[in-house]
Amino acid sequence: MLQCIFIISNSGEVILEKQLQGHRADRSICNWFWEYAMAQGGELSQLLPVIASPTHYLFQIFREGIIFLACTQVEMPPLMGTEFLCRVADIISDYLGGLNEDLIKDNFVIVYELLDEMVDNGYPLITEPNILREMISPPNIVSKMLSVVTGRSSNVSTTLPVATQSCAPWRKTDIKNSGNEVYVNLVEEIDAIVRSDGNLVKCEIYGEIQVDSNLSGYPDLTLSFANPTILNDVRFHPCIRFRPWELYQLLSFVPPNGQFKLMSYRVKKLKSIPIYVKPQLISSSGSCRMTVLVGTRNDPGKPIDSITIEFHLPSCVTSADFTSNHGTVNILADKRCSWSIGRIPKDKAPSLTGNLVLESGLSSLHVCPVLQAKFKIMGVALSGLQIDRLDVKNMPTQPYKGFRALTRAGEYEVRS
Amino acid sequence: MFPQFGATAESLSKASSLVFRIGTDAHLYDDPDDVSIAPLLDSSFDSEKAEALKRLLALIAQGEDVSNFFPQVVKNVATPSSEVKKLVYLYILHYAEKRPNEALLSINCFQKDLSDANPLVRAWALRAMSGIRLHAIGPIALVALSKCAKDPSSYVRKCAANALSKLNDLHQEENASSLEELVSILLNDHSPGVVGAAAAAFNSICPNNLSLVGRIFRRLCETVPDVDEWGQIALINILLRYVIARHGLVEESIMASSHPSENSDSRRELFSIPAPDRGSILVEVEPSEHIMRELMLRHYIEGPEQYSSRQIDAKEDDNGSNNNSYFTSIENNDVKLLLQCTSPLLWSQNSAVVLAAAGVHWVLASQMDMENIVKPILFVLRSSYASRYVVLRNIQIFAKAMPSLFSAYHEDFFVSSSDSYQMKVLKLDILSTIAAESSIPFILQEFQDYIKDPDRRFAVDVVAAIALCVKNLPSVAKTCLEGLLAIVKQESSIKHYGSLEGEAGVLIQAIMSIKTIIKQDPANYEKVIVHLIRSLDNIKEPSARALIIWIVGEYSDVGHIILKIIPVVVSYLGQCFSSEELEAKHQILNTVAKIVLSAQGEEHELFRKVLFYILDLAKVDLNYDIRDRGRMIEKLVTSQPKISHQEGILHVEPDSILLDELLKNMFCGKIQSVTGAINHFRLYLPGSLSQIVLHAAPGYTPLPQPCSLPEMALENRMSQDGIEAANSSDSSYEGSQSSYYDSEGSIPSPVDGENPDSGSESDVADNDHYMLRGANGSPDATAIGQLIHLTDTSIHDGTAKQSTAENNTSSATDLTNLMSKSALESWLNEQPCLPSVNSSADPSRERSSARISINEIEVSVKPKLNVLLEPANGNGLRVGYSFTSEISKISPLLLCVEIVFENLSPEPLKKISLRDEGSTANPEFATQAFGIHDSALEPSKVPTIVPMEEIDSLHPGDMARSILQVHFHHHLLPLKLAIYYNEKRHPVKLQPDIGYFTRPIAMDLNAFTKLENHLRGMFEYSRRCTFADHINIVDQEKGQSSLNDDKILLICRKIAAKMLSSASIHLVSVDMPILLKFDEVSDLCLRFSSEILSNSKPCLITVTAEGKCSEALDISVKVNCEETVFGLNLLNRIVAFLSSNSVS
Repeated sequence: MLQCIFIISNSGEVILEKQLQGHRADRSICNWFWEYAMAQGGELSQLLPVIASPTHYLFQIFREGIIFLACTQVEMPPLMGTEFLCRVADIISDYLGGLNEDLIKDNFVIVYELLDEMVDNGYPLITEPNILREMISPPNIVSKMLSVVTGRSSNVSTTLPVATQSCAPWRKTDIKNSGNEVYVNLVEEIDAIVRSDGNLVKCEIYGEIQVDSNLSGYPDLTLSFANPTILNDVRFHPCIRFRPWELYQLLSFVPPNGQFKLMSYRVKKLKSIPIYVKPQLISSSGSCRMTVLVGTRNDPGKPIDSITIEFHLPSCVTSADFTSNHGTVNILADKRCSWSIGRIPKDKAPSLTGNLVLESGLSSLHVCPVLQAKFKIMGVALSGLQIDRLDVKNMPTQPYKGFRALTRAGEYEVRS
Repeated sequence: MFPQFGATAESLSKASSLVFRIGTDAHLYDDPDDVSIAPLLDSSFDSEKAEALKRLLALIAQGEDVSNFFPQVVKNVATPSSEVKKLVYLYILHYAEKRPNEALLSINCFQKDLSDANPLVRAWALRAMSGIRLHAIGPIALVALSKCAKDPSSYVRKCAANALSKLNDLHQEENASSLEELVSILLNDHSPGVVGAAAAAFNSICPNNLSLVGRIFRRLCETVPDVDEWGQIALINILLRYVIARHGLVEESIMASSHPSENSDSRRELFSIPAPDRGSILVEVEPSEHIMRELMLRHYIEGPEQYSSRQIDAKEDDNGSNNNSYFTSIENNDVKLLLQCTSPLLWSQNSAVVLAAAGVHWVLASQMDMENIVKPILFVLRSSYASRYVVLRNIQIFAKAMPSLFSAYHEDFFVSSSDSYQMKVLKLDILSTIAAESSIPFILQEFQDYIKDPDRRFAVDVVAAIALCVKNLPSVAKTCLEGLLAIVKQESSIKHYGSLEGEAGVLIQAIMSIKTIIKQDPANYEKVIVHLIRSLDNIKEPSARALIIWIVGEYSDVGHIILKIIPVVVSYLGQCFSSEELEAKHQILNTVAKIVLSAQGEEHELFRKVLFYILDLAKVDLNYDIRDRGRMIEKLVTSQPKISHQEGILHVEPDSILLDELLKNMFCGKIQSVTGAINHFRLYLPGSLSQIVLHAAPGYTPLPQPCSLPEMALENRMSQDGIEAANSSDSSYEGSQSSYYDSEGSIPSPVDGENPDSGSESDVADNDHYMLRGANGSPDATAIGQLIHLTDTSIHDGTAKQSTAENNTSSATDLTNLMSKSALESWLNEQPCLPSVNSSADPSRERSSARISINEIEVSVKPKLNVLLEPANGNGLRVGYSFTSEISKISPLLLCVEIVFENLSPEPLKKISLRDEGSTANPEFATQAFGIHDSALEPSKVPTIVPMEEIDSLHPGDMARSILQVHFHHHLLPLKLAIYYNEKRHPVKLQPDIGYFTRPIAMDLNAFTKLENHLRGMFEYSRRCTFADHINIVDQEKGQSSLNDDKILLICRKIAAKMLSSASIHLVSVDMPILLKFDEVSDLCLRFSSEILSNSKPCLITVTAEGKCSEALDISVKVNCEETVFGLNLLNRIVAFLSSNSVS
């Protein structure tokens, strides 16, 4: 089981150390880890999640400039380690409203207390955000001010949340909300790989159903789809009952309070993509002309927002200059180019042209950058998944029900 | 005050955020030292304490050692404020290992909190107490744990389950069985959350005690979906292991598919595998997959020890583990149930759960149903970056064993530019493994794109993967070769490599891949070779040139075109020799030598000429290696021509045959394909850490041996019982015992003949009787629990009276747990007033104006005679025993017990002997015998005796004494003996007396107080009782003398006599008060010293008496001893005999 958790900043400073077992792991393991990370090229986001050091097995995840490092000395499921760290990162980020060094330092006592509740003897204890929120109140401006004025504050609850006892630990029984509403959001990410000739290699949707429930009491919800058969894969929040899904493809659940991810799904083998990105590279004697054209391909019916194209220039390119007829182009220090287009204008197709100067000795570019496209389409679920109805039981009055959809680009890649 | 803060906080930059860090803990973190912490800790305000503790935490966070504040922090543990309490617990747990003695100071408080009405406080206290890993705490924590295991709050019970493994880490053998018992109680819990935590505890405490699972298997399976996600992982692991141990492998599963008995003759086999779109297709299993599956079967089951031992003599075949009896069918109910209950887990949002569930299916499910796990694990690939890598590593193994499973999903392994290098390589490997006829065009097209990847390391891997694909699918060889040649052409056009790292690698790898492909069928790919040779002009990279030159030499006699161009090539090589790099020069030398050796006809002369030209050049080369090699080749070739010229003609000297052979082997030897590399490849269970790091991590356990768990006939019935028994500790433990011994009982026992009682009752379906039979019949059962001891005697002696008597005594002393628990509880109750005892003692010392201390008082010591065998039961033989303080000459662990035999019957008794129960065969080797048949159980708990001499005969009215030396392994469990005389057997029980587990050590008062001061705190236990023995005597003596001193002295003597005759201790001193009041005894204090026999740790006893002489005295007994358990038990014993009214 986990022996110790460290929180390390992206400059290698150990911000927090939480020993989980009686036998302590020495801090020097962080030094080893940092040297290892530097030896691997210093790209923290590309480090292996499971590392065998001479003394410990390390699990690490990298989130927004913060490394969560856990170590163990015995066999345990590695995914349990990394998944738990992800959960820790999620919850801390949720508590602090983001993740960065200062935020953690500002609230280190809360982080300590959270970690202490989340794990016991290196084994996850409570990871349910609702219960944790009841046990340790998140920092807020009121309590901060109170503590300044009165000099006293306590964020540790004195009573055990009832939910720890119930068989639905994600919800406490006596919730009273002033509002009586439930929102269901379909958030989809479109993953696509497009070859340089414009052919689609693969295109699929990764979607999440995010529910924001503000219901009092103990509501029982049933969500049904008009076309559940298009779902290739699903993963459920623990609140979903398995049987109704197996039998009738219905989502039957008692929701946690507030925002949560009800399920995630995947729809594969889609045939159309909303925008096209056409890169063209023409090399001639030591330089290379690059043009990128962007346009709408299959109109989704709603405007496509915040389109950005990003790509890494290959290392053999010594210099480059780009101009575009729409939007702005930036070349960052690590040869990363970012072209933000925004919305595609009606009158013209945005295009980017540029000249790449190759390293001496290269007559043509033999490696090709991969372009990543980012965009957002409000109001549309591109997978075509449709929510049929949402039934709410166990409620005196029918709540207000809201549905929204959003599609954005996930791993949307165009090879050149 | 500042309402705008909330709105604007986000938008403000970091520089001005200083203001907004007001009220946060930033100032504590950034400058924790700026105020002095110590006074804050002593403050009476909770907020200041909290502030100080936060500063300490900040220092801990920054890696400072602040353990010097420990005493001050511990003091605050009794705070009512939950925040301070929480912070103190955080601090204590961080430093408990470092400052064990101070940590002990907090125990009292934890104890108090454990009975708090608030479950959260109870849970915190339990977590903190069990987190202090000190041996001394073990027993106390165990008591607390067993209490919490029955707590009404499921949260507390869950914490108790987690605490189990903390306690287990202390490696206290005496607690092992109680821990297992607690695990079984908690596994039976009705709250799923507790079951999950208990499953994790099970894995760390008794992973092999799978019989525990057997009874409740069905119920556990049904609980799985409700258990929290982390618990699910542990739980389904246990269930899988149970099914394998109980039923063996599933015949239809992939593990069994490599089973040699099924397909020993043919390595190829047809499996019908349903494909998603195309209905059912027949898939041929490749030999390589077979090897993989066989490895899997072996490695999953075999531990690292077995593996390394097998490595030593690798040739030895599998040790018959592939026995048909190890297999079960998919139709097995338990298998079906487990698969059914883990299927929904494949939809879990926790990747670890998905992979664990997939692992269960991988091992158990039939190959037809394996399809179920594919989509869920592929979907995990879309979750966090960390899980992607781990899942890919597992898929890699799955794919190697069953490529067809994934071949339809090749799209999921297409590389994305955001993947890290390691993931790209993994995906590539999987792609080349699963490539099938239908998917290879797409995969190759992808590969073409990958070659353009800016990371050239990856491009190299892609080129290598192409060759792998061709190996699996020879049909695509042509396309691949074309592609590879194009790469060669393109890469060779890049002139300067300077900063272009890895570029050369691509070229070299492309030629290597071509080489691998043409090796399979050189004649067919003649044109490719020609093509390569022609590109020699363009290729500058020395390694690449060397490779091509090697290919020329290797395939110079293949096909027709090559034969024709060889002369040109050879002259070309001769021309460019001097300008080549070292590597290429080597290859030119070898190649030309090879060609000369194999060539015939008119060209031979030309080749020889070129060769000698090159050799001449080589002789003057700057490199010594080239020079040496040139000379050697020259020597070899010049001595050879005769043979090669007149081939077939018998003109052979023995030398030249040898030489010929040598040359052939050196230059024309075919390359031995390196196989068997896969055998050094170690596989671990899917989802394990060892599988990722590729070595057995400490604590890795393979699957249990199939069918290693004995049949359990009453399993189903017991599983019903198990449900009823939930939450009742005793009955559930009983249940587990009986279910285990059922199986023992069914074995025909050899001693049955001796034992008509149990034989006749064998049909009774009562569990107790089964247990008995197990106990008497099979030797394994000599050391089973206390329950058996009780009922056992009642059957044998037949008289109810005896059995009740036995029961009474046993229930008082037998049950370790009850005993220590009650002792502890009473101690805990006493604990708060303990300081008052001490403090009251001190002032009273000042108060009493005069006191005398004496070391010697006349005491008549009369050891108590206990009865071993009543004459009524023993046909007139009375056997008594008393403990002596004699020390055994053999071992300090042996106690000397004096046994008195008295014949009260009118007839002489013959051949009286006393033997240990279990060793019926030859009592001489009692110890040895024990060693053997108890090895399965816990040997440490079984007492052994040094046998006494047999008494030949005992005449009526005679008495005989003998000394028996006994080793009680446990100071509370009675020793089962049997008295034999007149060829009859009488089972008896020898009760240990903890008072004699010590040895008196002489010391004076100073030494005593000094030692006592060292053993304070945790090592001090006290209890109160009353002492009334003196009353009669005092009353009697009233008439004779009225002196107070005498009275008190009398009492002293009485107490001392009782102490000394019941325990083996030394009287250090007696403090007698000289008081004005006549009838009052206060502050009468007797001190005794001794040391524990087994480990020579000192054990101090102080008895203080108060009250009136004519009435029962109020006695407080205090024991100071490092051995917690021993000390507590001794205390109990002393209190028991002091308060018992003995008539003397």
